[in-house]
Amino acid sequence: MSSVADKIRFEPSPLPAELDELRREVRAFLEETLADYPAAVRSHSWEAYDAEFSARLGARGWLGMTLPTEYGGHGRSAFERYVVVEECLVAGAPTAFHWVADRQSGPLLVRYANEAQKKRIIPQIAAGKACFAIGMSEPNSGSDLASLRTRAERTANGWLVNGTKIWTSNAHRANYMIALFRTDPDPNKKHAALSQFLIDLSAVEGVTPRPIKNLAGGRNFNEVSFVDVELPEDALIGTEGQGWKQVTEELAYERSGPERYLSCFFLLRKLIDAVRDKASPATMARLGAQVAWATTLRNMSLSIAAKLNAGEDPALAASVVKDLGCQFEQALPGLAQELCELEPTLDGFGLEYQQVLGNLVQVAPSFSLRGGTPEIMRGIIAKGLGVR
Amino acid sequence: MNEMRQMLEDSVERLFGDRLDWETQTRIEEEGFPRALWDEVVDQGIHKVLATEEAGGLDGGWGDAYPVLRACGKHAVPLPVAEAMLAEYLAREAGCSLPEGVPGLLPQVLDADAFESDAVKLDGVRTPWGRHAAYLVGVATGDAGAELVLAAPDGLEVAEEDNIGRDPRDTLTGTARIHARHPLPLPADCVRWLGALARSAQIAGGGVTCLDLAVQYAAEREQFGRPLSAFQAIQHYLADLAGVVASVDSITMAACEAYDQRGMTGATRNARFEIAAAKCRASEAVEKLTRLSHQVHGAIGFTYEYGLHFTTRRLWAWRAEFGGAGEWGEFLGRAACEAGGDGVWPLITG
Repeated sequence: MSSVADKIRFEPSPLPAELDELRREVRAFLEETLADYPAAVRSHSWEAYDAEFSARLGARGWLGMTLPTEYGGHGRSAFERYVVVEECLVAGAPTAFHWVADRQSGPLLVRYANEAQKKRIIPQIAAGKACFAIGMSEPNSGSDLASLRTRAERTANGWLVNGTKIWTSNAHRANYMIALFRTDPDPNKKHAALSQFLIDLSAVEGVTPRPIKNLAGGRNFNEVSFVDVELPEDALIGTEGQGWKQVTEELAYERSGPERYLSCFFLLRKLIDAVRDKASPATMARLGAQVAWATTLRNMSLSIAAKLNAGEDPALAASVVKDLGCQFEQALPGLAQELCELEPTLDGFGLEYQQVLGNLVQVAPSFSLRGGTPEIMRGIIAKGLGVR
Repeated sequence: MNEMRQMLEDSVERLFGDRLDWETQTRIEEEGFPRALWDEVVDQGIHKVLATEEAGGLDGGWGDAYPVLRACGKHAVPLPVAEAMLAEYLAREAGCSLPEGVPGLLPQVLDADAFESDAVKLDGVRTPWGRHAAYLVGVATGDAGAELVLAAPDGLEVAEEDNIGRDPRDTLTGTARIHARHPLPLPADCVRWLGALARSAQIAGGGVTCLDLAVQYAAEREQFGRPLSAFQAIQHYLADLAGVVASVDSITMAACEAYDQRGMTGATRNARFEIAAAKCRASEAVEKLTRLSHQVHGAIGFTYEYGLHFTTRRLWAWRAEFGGAGEWGEFLGRAACEAGGDGVWPLITG
């Protein structure tokens, strides 16, 4: 008797032993490079922006790893990239400058951009010199992304864009944005009227980012207005009207990586240091359950890397790991406070553990918002189960 | 999944899939051991995945045993297939063969130094299917290291008890005559660890049934003029349930592979880490697997008339057997505390 569970299985895909050497190199590099970075900064991980660090990572050949060599990538496997990515996350490396470019924009451009664009931009991504922003959400289109309204109209020699994007991380300092716009005003064509565009932010006028301060005081994301923005003909990437399909592929990259369960791992490290000398068996059992969860999620995540490497569609599996990973990482600050009841503090005050806790307690609500909410993930999973 | 594993899973599905319907499960609970079904298991060699080819087995690994154990969990098989499989594995490793009949697998480590002239004293050992055991099989430790011990259950006092899954968990007391001892190149605590691995696989299978029945019921049952599966709250329960099922499946498969490759001894990272993670996660998952499946089923799932309980009662029992989330979590937590904050990640990556 077949089972619906057969549709969502994660075959073990342990990393080949020959990657141990790469892991040792990455660990040594990060240990040396991050030695003087304060713990609180490191706990921001893939939200901490540091162009210099990204350039150093690029110089080591650790960005754009899976992109083809003919365009300036490194032609390496998804597993090699996985090693670099997970080591950066666990070390709390400040990866925000290159994160989006390396994770999703690069692969998207390789697939859909024209030759000239690829030859120009992929080498910048591999060098850690290109910061990308993602133009998806709008003030009235959050989870219901396909309802977005920003219009790109055809002109004699290109496109004219008007509208507003929001929650756009790093738009105020990015070099490029890949955005989803409506190219057909027909209200009956909800998904089929969307197209993707590449915007060189240094070369256009009328794009104005307005920083939005988050609840913790951080200034990563923006509201971005587009007023009569003229884009060249070749700013359209892929096929007109195929934007939804392309974005769905892009989101599979965005949702499938180890950052979907490792956002709080730096806190787990500091928590272990804070309690290890006096941990009761009950405390050890709680810590061990987190280690079991992390091990499980890593296995599932590696299985997705294998699917990506084999060219399979990881969208359903990625939704499962993002949903579970989010439950895991979002619960960690609460568990930490239960096991080590010290006040969360602002940067520069208290123990390292307290500062890291202070940061992650505040930013944890965003874990279940960025990249798609659990409500959306569960909708996708339900569809995969055939009940929706 | 490779061809042999698919074939193994299919043969277990064929044997139990149609056979273990509600009437049969109920009759077994009322009448006791289903001898005819057990004979079929033995005839087909379902429990011999890990036995040598000379012993009529497949000489397989735990990665091959996994689909069989999972399928047994999925069908709430009321037979000691997991215990027999583990016994066959111990015999293979010890280079001996087992007697005929139902094995009485002793879950705790025996003290070889306390053996009295070819007899072992059992001081209340809770033994799965103990009352039906044709022979006892256990692991002892002493000066000579670990050894496999085969003994006769004759004359033992058997305090009969069923777990809440209604599977026999009998307490054996008295002196059992030893009829064979073989050096065993495995750690003395291997029964607890491999028992935990086997139970994790059964929990993974039980989770599959929790999901399958809930999805099926949600599609059939209508309220407010719509099937339950049309309601977003129900869809989200099912999605959450599916994720937990996948997580237990994933870590247990990984633990089986890890054990096949690295065993449980050796200075470099061995498979104890993954086995502990699997049973910790599987045991912890039981709460959500059973709660969500029952919630989707509503009151009908709480009746004896509907068969969900054959699975969920076993899941609640398996959660604790061979150690629960606390015991296995403590093993991992202790390792993490010893490794410290900087060492915990290398512990996970191996």
